[in-house]
Amino acid sequence: MKTLAAKWGLWGGYLAVLLLLPQVFDSILAISIFNQMAIAIVFALSYNMLLGQGGMLSFGHAVYFGLGGFLAVHVLRLMEFETVYFSIALIPLIGGLTGLFAGIFVGSFSTRKAGTVFAMISLGIGELVAASSLIFTGFFGGEAGVSGDRTFGPPLFGMDFFSDVDVYYLAAFWVFVSTLFMYLFTRTPAGRMANAVRDNPERAEFIGYSARWVRFISFCASGMFAGVAGGLFALNYEFLTDENLNLVTSGRVLLMAYIGGLGFFIGPIIGAIVLTLMNFLLSNYTELFLLYLGILFALTVLFLPRGFAGFIMMHQIAWLRGRLHSLALPYLLTGLPALLFILSAVCLLELSHANEPVLHFLGLSLARDSALSWIGLVLGAGLGALLTAKSTPRLRRAWEAANAPNSEAGQEAAP
Amino acid sequence: MSILSLRGLRKNFGATEIIRGVNLGIEAGEKHAIIGPNGAGKSTLFHLISGKYAPSAGAIEFKGQSLANLPPHRINRLGIARSFQVTNIFPRLSVFENIRCALLWPSGYRYSFWRPIEREAKLNGETEQVLEKIGLAGRAKIPAGEIAYSEQRALELGMAIAGGAELILLDEPVAGMSHSEADNAVDLIRRVTEGKTLVMVEHDMNIVFELADRISVLVYGEVIASGAPAEIRANAQVREAYLGEALSDA
Repeated sequence: MKTLAAKWGLWGGYLAVLLLLPQVFDSILAISIFNQMAIAIVFALSYNMLLGQGGMLSFGHAVYFGLGGFLAVHVLRLMEFETVYFSIALIPLIGGLTGLFAGIFVGSFSTRKAGTVFAMISLGIGELVAASSLIFTGFFGGEAGVSGDRTFGPPLFGMDFFSDVDVYYLAAFWVFVSTLFMYLFTRTPAGRMANAVRDNPERAEFIGYSARWVRFISFCASGMFAGVAGGLFALNYEFLTDENLNLVTSGRVLLMAYIGGLGFFIGPIIGAIVLTLMNFLLSNYTELFLLYLGILFALTVLFLPRGFAGFIMMHQIAWLRGRLHSLALPYLLTGLPALLFILSAVCLLELSHANEPVLHFLGLSLARDSALSWIGLVLGAGLGALLTAKSTPRLRRAWEAANAPNSEAGQEAAP
Repeated sequence: MSILSLRGLRKNFGATEIIRGVNLGIEAGEKHAIIGPNGAGKSTLFHLISGKYAPSAGAIEFKGQSLANLPPHRINRLGIARSFQVTNIFPRLSVFENIRCALLWPSGYRYSFWRPIEREAKLNGETEQVLEKIGLAGRAKIPAGEIAYSEQRALELGMAIAGGAELILLDEPVAGMSHSEADNAVDLIRRVTEGKTLVMVEHDMNIVFELADRISVLVYGEVIASGAPAEIRANAQVREAYLGEALSDA
């Protein structure tokens, strides 16, 4: 009963956060970021159905997102010219159905094998559709793309969708419903077998399941939700181009899901939020955003293979044993020098990229032609790296102590 | 009538012939052991029956139905379950989930993506019963990849018997176990395969003689003898080809 209450609480909280966000942060800018996050969350969760849940590494997931978006934009256009009468609220459904049908078609041959074969097919299909989008300009609009207008539908609960807030509430509804259904899917026989096939397709065959069918079902569902995300994109931006279904977009969703943490249902949500925020915060300040994103991805793969969610979950044991606080100081002692290193390295990168003679960055004024700023930064980075390296053994010991099996803590808990 | 019959079964990989014309009938309810030296083709034989490999020639029939060209999952659905020589489980799923997955198809869930699995009380109850039977009830929540080796072997066995298949194929069920672990495993195998047909490949002769009521000896892809344990023990050809060596090893 307790876990059931916790579950309801979690979903209720999720819904509450979704509904309250635009009340707390009501600037136009904030709403536009929330809309981007909403799209990213659905898209990243759908990607996780493939890679995290089903063990299928796809390099072409933008195909389903983009096709869903294009179809949705075309429906918007039809509504604009009053060819069809349709509800704006159901536009993401158009995207979802498009993604589903594209998934059924591609999945029928690509899910035969997982691993490299699947990855290569997804890459091929991704390239093929991206190339087609520039060839079949009637549907895809070529490099100019296709644009629509979301304000021609019948008003919904008094919302006419002129403002982004209206779009946000609609998107929040779809995010909640999609998240719920994607979660519920993991708790069904097909969803459990998706995990089993990811772990060991051979064994799945010997307990009566066709690994291919199991993958196919996940693949179609994943395509559908990617299409829903595409439909939300169409509503939010009213504009789609070839970039929305090419490899850049496919790569970005992979990064989001991976950095957030593939093994956890909540991972891609974290990844979507963090990367959308990073995108917004950093791209205003630096032209090197993509470089930092790449570094972040490489570091995640190297040091946090289970992503941010995995990093958080790593602390579960220490927390359950009541020793989480013992990690605070060691974290600080390693974290501060690491921060010094990171900031110095960032300054070095920015300085070597700077166009002006004096770079104003992080409250510092760094002269490009002065040896002093270069030496200072190199020293800062070196000192940071040295202290980080020096303090890691201590952190490691503290970590092991915090996670050690309960000998004393067991006695503490006994009386 | 035999529940399983192999007729003129052959399997070659390129020019190498591993199974060279095996004829074998397994009666319903019998406990049949297949023994033979390393490389005799015992595991290959299992892979042929369970559909991992397709035969190069010959026929395999289960309850009168040909298994030719059937993929492993179809063969499993007919009522043939197997374990593996090298532990073959779902390492990241919990012990409980491993067993529950093995129960899904036989319980008729197929590819259902609309039924919340936690609400299926009967399924979850049966899973617990199987865990109880194989002695892993206390390990239910741990990822299967993290339990001890002998526990993984028990899980492997549990997954093979969970679905209630009529014919159980066990590939070296006690390989790598200590003596006491192996003794426990023998008890376990006897309990869980009661009333079922069992075909096992095993190296440990003590276990073979303890469990089997018929033994076939496979040497270089051919069955050179098949009969009751006493007959096999007395068979001069078998002693020469295999048993003498195995017994003198022991």
